[in-house]
Amino acid sequence: MGGSGGLRWYVTRRLLFALLLVLLVSSAAMMLTRLAPGDLTAELALRATPEEIARTRARFGLDRGIASQWTAWAVHAVRLDFGDSFLYNRPVGELVARGALNSAALALAALLLATMVGIPLGILTGTRQTGVMANAVRAASLLCLSVPPLLTSLLFVWVAARTGWFPVGGMSSANASDLDWSAWMADVAWHLPLPALALALPIAATLERLQAQSMHEAVGQPFVVAALARGLSRRQLVLRHAWRASLRPVCGLYGLVIGALLSGSFAVEYVTSWPGLGRLTFDALRARDIYLVAGCATAGALFLAVGSFVSDLLLALADPRVREMEAA
Amino acid sequence: MRRASIVAIVLAIGVLVGVVVTWRTPSSPASSASRGGQLVASIRSEPRSFNRLVARDQTVELLALLTQSRLVRVNRSTFETEPALAESWEVSPDGRVYTVHLRPGVTWSDGTPFTSADVLFTLDAVFAPGSGVVIASALTIEGAPITASAPDAQTVVFTYPAAFGPGIRLLDNLWILPRHKLEPALRAGAFAQAWNSKTPLSEIVGTGPFVVRDYQPGQRVVLERNPRYWRTSQEGSPLPYLDRIVLEIVPDQNAEILRLISGHVDLTQSELRPEDYLPVKRAADQGRLRLVDLGVGPDPDGFWFCLKPDAWRGDPRFAFVQRPEFRRAISHAVNRERFAETVFLGAAVPVWGPITPGNRPWFSPNVPRYPYDVARAQAMLSELGLEDRNGNGVREDSNGVEARFTIITVRGNSAMERGAGALRDELARVGIALDVAPLEFGAMIERLLTSRYEGIYYRPLASDLDPAINMDMWLSSGSAHFWHLGQKSPASEWERRIDGLMREQAATLDAARRRELFDEVQRIFAENLPVIYFVAPRFYYAHSTRVTGGSPSVLRPPLLWDADALSVTGPPSGTE
Amino acid sequence: MIRAGRALLVLVALLALAAPVLAPNPPDVAFRDLSFAPPSRIHLTDPAGRMTRPHTYPLRLVSRLERRYEEDRSRPQPIRWFHRGRVATVTYEDAPLLLLGADGQGRDLFARLLYGARTSLALSMAATIGALIIGVAVGAIAGYAGGWADEALSRLADFILVLPAIYVVLALRAVMPLVLPDRTVFLLMTGIFAVVGWPFVARGVRAIVVSEKTREYAEAAQALGAGHVRVLWRHLLPASRGFLAVQATLLLPAFILAEATMSYIGLGFSERTPSWGTMLVDAANVATLGDVPWALAPAGAIFVVVLGVNLAVQGRPQILRTSSRSGL
Repeated sequence: MGGSGGLRWYVTRRLLFALLLVLLVSSAAMMLTRLAPGDLTAELALRATPEEIARTRARFGLDRGIASQWTAWAVHAVRLDFGDSFLYNRPVGELVARGALNSAALALAALLLATMVGIPLGILTGTRQTGVMANAVRAASLLCLSVPPLLTSLLFVWVAARTGWFPVGGMSSANASDLDWSAWMADVAWHLPLPALALALPIAATLERLQAQSMHEAVGQPFVVAALARGLSRRQLVLRHAWRASLRPVCGLYGLVIGALLSGSFAVEYVTSWPGLGRLTFDALRARDIYLVAGCATAGALFLAVGSFVSDLLLALADPRVREMEAA
Repeated sequence: MRRASIVAIVLAIGVLVGVVVTWRTPSSPASSASRGGQLVASIRSEPRSFNRLVARDQTVELLALLTQSRLVRVNRSTFETEPALAESWEVSPDGRVYTVHLRPGVTWSDGTPFTSADVLFTLDAVFAPGSGVVIASALTIEGAPITASAPDAQTVVFTYPAAFGPGIRLLDNLWILPRHKLEPALRAGAFAQAWNSKTPLSEIVGTGPFVVRDYQPGQRVVLERNPRYWRTSQEGSPLPYLDRIVLEIVPDQNAEILRLISGHVDLTQSELRPEDYLPVKRAADQGRLRLVDLGVGPDPDGFWFCLKPDAWRGDPRFAFVQRPEFRRAISHAVNRERFAETVFLGAAVPVWGPITPGNRPWFSPNVPRYPYDVARAQAMLSELGLEDRNGNGVREDSNGVEARFTIITVRGNSAMERGAGALRDELARVGIALDVAPLEFGAMIERLLTSRYEGIYYRPLASDLDPAINMDMWLSSGSAHFWHLGQKSPASEWERRIDGLMREQAATLDAARRRELFDEVQRIFAENLPVIYFVAPRFYYAHSTRVTGGSPSVLRPPLLWDADALSVTGPPSGTE
Repeated sequence: MIRAGRALLVLVALLALAAPVLAPNPPDVAFRDLSFAPPSRIHLTDPAGRMTRPHTYPLRLVSRLERRYEEDRSRPQPIRWFHRGRVATVTYEDAPLLLLGADGQGRDLFARLLYGARTSLALSMAATIGALIIGVAVGAIAGYAGGWADEALSRLADFILVLPAIYVVLALRAVMPLVLPDRTVFLLMTGIFAVVGWPFVARGVRAIVVSEKTREYAEAAQALGAGHVRVLWRHLLPASRGFLAVQATLLLPAFILAEATMSYIGLGFSERTPSWGTMLVDAANVATLGDVPWALAPAGAIFVVVLGVNLAVQGRPQILRTSSRSGL
């Protein structure tokens, strides 16, 4: 057994690999975007002379070879200088940080919602296979998985427009510039539920299905029968023992869910006008803004890599057998 | 557990009842005239710069309309040239020298006086190499830039390199920027980055009706009345009427329409899609929105084959594609009424050339038309040697080469995709097979510019209604001669004739003569059909009934181009 | 329940296979005057009130922009059974039997639903099976072998998880010919989905194999001389059955919906081939919500399929379930 030294080595190895991964992915994203047909001068087409277009290209270094452009970028990127965005003429790091922050707020709300709804319902459906509640929950989960997020967000915006229960989108109200800090926070919190709900539903459904299946398996284990025979109450059994045993698959996915949420969901952010990382990535990709694409890919890769790592960590916590295996 | 079930069921019923009960259609606003108030408009993308000279997208144009001014302004509703920062002007007899007298007493929004030095500075910036300005070609005549000098602080003398038909209208493109704020950036070679989204807003000054007060990236731009705006209304009261304009950034067009219908937004910057007409009409019937018929749009959807011989590299299909008879047959084969019905739900008019009735000053109805006549089309195709020899419904030439083409169009625009599909179905009837490949915008443009395509169905936008300012499309050597780019010398006799006529009408000062010449150009174009046009859409637009005083225009933005004349009545929009 | 699930899936498969016979109209014929037409009303009584054979009336277009139709009562069209190779259809070209109405281009939605079942189900099932097979193989090897193999495979899985497929597809589109035959698109998409999906499966399988490997029965089997493959196949992998079942339920709808995103980027089926994902995305606009709810039928279809899969892969009833009679 390696003990704490082995654990430390494991963590370092994973972190190093995560950094390598992030570099690989952002480079790949940048180069693939450069290879994709068209570039940021596409919207000037037919409206500017070829000389003006060539000059614009040169201004952004697009007349250089792809290898030299990548080298120049990489040299700066390791110092955390990701260059300036073509679209917005501002440092990429700033744009990505702001987008990531906005997406993170949304992700947190969605995660809380999905966990509070999905896990308990999954436990319920896992222990009771029959009954109106269990079937209704299962049906609702499957329905949430059958509808694309584009459609759910539009549906919510439509309902919000008709009933006035929630703002029809955006992160803050039209008069946000007049609000002081605490009022602004309250305003953002007021705008959060709509996109968070649209984001949370498929995730809650996924968590519910995973939890239900693993719970269903856990209560089939011999130790359950033994505990029942020992006189343990059903509730205690479920919540204390069976649940812990059932956490494994959920933990395996949870970190990935966090990572994916933090990189921002384009569909939800687009329809609900939430200024997050997903929307930024899409706009950058559409306009072929290479440095912004690289920046967004870096952030996304970072979140996913961290998420994967967190998943493995949770897994190790939940299942001691896995922990031993990793450290060996 | 059963208790939990009951609670859950009660909760679900409660939610449903709540939704049903609060399902409302917002009431129409009360009307009471007033000066001041706030207008909420939606825009679809972020401003990438506050400097109109370095970017050409719609949001930058809108911000320029709201915060800057030009020397003269073309009224987008009447198409007349109006004085703006220039109060009056004289033209020399040869039409090359314009002496412009600036309006006295105009100051920038920070109080600095506006003088001729600002005009000279702006022109310098436009033509300075490496400044990143993209509108330089709009201010050149026959490849040479216009020049200017300032005898005094209130006069500017423009010298055109040649006589130019549109005259002073050309200066509609010259947005005057403040020298005291931007000259250091120009000298330092950072003009294009000068007014980006990070600049402190106090640095962004203009002579327009509004001033940018707040910019929340990704969310909105807030503009406030410019107290130093030079314009006054007819009655002499200072403009603008509005206190504030909030531009909400709403990228999704569906969400935008929903906001418009529910009253959270007063107006949008684009015409309605045909499929959105119905929900908007319902809201208009309930008195919440005003539906406006803007008229026929100035740009029709066009279909063309690549007419550059090098691009076909000996492909036998080019032999008949390059014949005008082939294109005329296609024009005959399409039922334009049905096309309008399918693609635009009937809200379109047939056209036969690139100039539509929406371009009122320049439209000529006397062009050759190709009425719907399938028999005629089939006869013409047979005359070209194209017959269906193997009975598969597609014509082949004498060597068995099928008349089958791959047509690219832009993905994501439902009217465009519908149009391409409708075209395919119409032409299938006469034995021409089209495979439609919708491409992402960047990919399509790249193929267009490198001439790597067989045919395209797309709506190229003209830079200006005046053809002399749109020369790049008409001249065979022009960079926007999209069906045959990169011609060193005219490839055909009719293109040579058009070249001559266009140059002549650009250099003529007599408006009637210009019209005559351009009518002839349209006639030649419609005869040779390098691009086949079918219909031009009719634009509908809607805005909240709160908004009054505007002159809707068929050009974008429909209402905010004249924002200083707008006023709002009644309670504020939205419930946020 | 399992039988109900299987029956549902068989039913859907039969419906999809029998599409050319069951659909009253071809899926790609556009009735230009029936854009967004409502479902045909089938009348069983004639105007006088007597029972006659089922018939419909042709819909006459009153206003195109306002999408108003009215029945032309002067021309009842009887429904023909087993006519022209279809189970139920109407003879007249201008009065098609639209069981679920028409989409924006006037195409029969019911027919598109049936034909779309073939495309969407074939694609998503092939992709899901592919992802499961690859995921199980990789996860089993990684979990069982440990050491460097485990490390390498897990890092590979991480890389694929983190790299957004969108960039790859965008660049891929550039090098492919403009018009791809549907077969090529099908194979490409199946491949891409399988590659994108297997890391999720592999992570879970690996974790299960790792924890099962240390159990007594596994060690016993090894001590008895069972080969590695036998131990894996007979003893360790069956423990992941439940997890794989849930993964199937999650991957299937995800792939059906992801096809629409692929289509948007440019790698899609031809316009004439309907698919549920694309139909749903086309239905996601203001025009359809509220006015044309039948355009959202593909969501219901996906739900039915996912429900069937979920019920069919459920697994045996568990111990606790029988005690539900005693209540909790």
